[in-house]
Amino acid sequence: MSGLAATGFDLMLCALILGAALAAIAVRDLFGAVVFFIVYGVFVALAWLRLEAIDVALTEAALGAGLTGVLMIGAVSRLERLTSRDQDQDAAGPQSPPTSSAARIATMVGAAGIGGGLAWGFITLPPSAGLQLAVAENLAASGVENPVTAVLLNFRGWDTLLESIVLLAALIALWSLARDQDWGRRPGLRQHARPGGVMATFGRLLPPFGFLLGVYLVWTGSAQPGGAFQGGTVLAAVWLLVMMAGLKAAPRVSSTRLRWALIAGPLLFIGVGLAGAVAGTFLGLPTAYAKPLILTIEAGLTLSIAATLALLVLGAPMAGDGLGPDQPDKEPAR
Amino acid sequence: MSALLTSAAGVLLLSLGGAMWRIWRGPDAADRMMAAQLVGTGGVGTVLLLAGATDWRMIDVALVLALLAAFAAIAFVKAISLDGSGDPEESDDVAEIVAVKATGARAADAG
Repeated sequence: MSGLAATGFDLMLCALILGAALAAIAVRDLFGAVVFFIVYGVFVALAWLRLEAIDVALTEAALGAGLTGVLMIGAVSRLERLTSRDQDQDAAGPQSPPTSSAARIATMVGAAGIGGGLAWGFITLPPSAGLQLAVAENLAASGVENPVTAVLLNFRGWDTLLESIVLLAALIALWSLARDQDWGRRPGLRQHARPGGVMATFGRLLPPFGFLLGVYLVWTGSAQPGGAFQGGTVLAAVWLLVMMAGLKAAPRVSSTRLRWALIAGPLLFIGVGLAGAVAGTFLGLPTAYAKPLILTIEAGLTLSIAATLALLVLGAPMAGDGLGPDQPDKEPAR
Repeated sequence: MSALLTSAAGVLLLSLGGAMWRIWRGPDAADRMMAAQLVGTGGVGTVLLLAGATDWRMIDVALVLALLAAFAAIAFVKAISLDGSGDPEESDDVAEIVAVKATGARAADAG
C-alpha cells in the first residue's frame, strides 16, 4: 500500500471514528445515538483491517455493526413504549429518569480514571516484539495454520474456555431478571409478521446464505481469519432473523434441547481438557490429534455461542408484549 | 494499482462522511436508519477495495458486513411496528402508521 493515498485514508478514517464516537455521545436523539454506535462499529472494523487484524475486524463487523445494533434498537423501542405508557397512566410523571449531578461526576471520574490508566499502561509499555515469534515457532505443533486460532484454542485454551463460560453466566444473569410467573416461557416479545410480506420473505431468503457463511467462517478459521466466535455470531443473527420474521418461535427457556445446545461447547471443551489431564496436561492437545480436536471443540463452541448470543438479544422470558404486570397473561406457562 | 484502489477507498469514505451528516440532522428515525445502511453498503465497498490493495483474505469481512448490516434495518422495522414485535405490513393502512410515526419523531425533535 503506497504512502500518500494510505496516509490520507488513515487520517480520514481516524476523523470518522472520532466523529462517530463524539456524535454518539452528543446527539440529543436516543435513536440517533444508537445509529452512530452502529456506524462506529463499521468504521472500527475498517480500522482493524488497516492494522491487518482481520480476525478482530470480522468480530467487530459481526458484533459491533451487527448484533449489538439489533439489541440496542430493540432496547430504545421498548424504552419509548414503556415511557409513553407511564406517561399515559400518570401525566405528571417524570419524562426521563432523573440523574443527579453527583452520579454524573462519579461516572465521569470513573471513565477518566479507566481511560487514564489505559493511557499510562500504553505509554509505560516496555518495547517488545510481542508473542508473534513464539507463536510462529510453535505453530507446527498446534495443528492449525491460523496463528490466532492456535493461540485461542491451543496455547491459551484456558482463556477461551473461561470466556465461553462467561457468556453462559451472562445469559443466566439475564434470565434471572424474569418474573417468577414467566419462568419457562419463551424469551423476548412474541414476534410476528405478515405471511408473504417483505419481512417474512427476507427471513426465508437470507438464512441459507447466512448459514453457509457461518459454517464457512468456522471451517476456514483453522487456516485463515475466522473461527467459532465469528461464525457463531453470524449463525446467531440468522437464527434471530428466522425468529423475528415470525417463521419459528423462540424455544422455551425450559427446553432440554436448548439447554444442551447452550452447554455443548463448554462441556466439550472441559471434556477434552480432562482427557488431556489424564494424558499429562489439562487442556494439552497432542500434536497428532490437535487439528481434529480443535475442530470438534470449535463445532461445539459455535453451537453454544450462536444459541447464547441469540438468546441474549431476545431477552428474559416474558408474557404478552413485555411491558410488565399490567398486561393480561395470554399464554399459560408450562 | 494499489494506490489507485486506496484512493478509491478514500473517496468512498468521504461519502460515508456525508452519511454521518444525515444521521446527525435526521430529522426522522428512518432518515438516520437509511444513512446507517449507506454506511454499511459503503463499508462493504471500502473493505473490498482495501482487500484488493492489501490482502484478499479481507473479503470475508465484506461478506459479514453485507449480511449483518441488513439486520439493523430489520430491527428498525420491528421497532416501528405497532407493538414493537410485529411488522408494519400487517396493518391495512401502512401509510397511516408511517405518517403517525414520522410526525411523532418530528414533534420529539422539536420538543
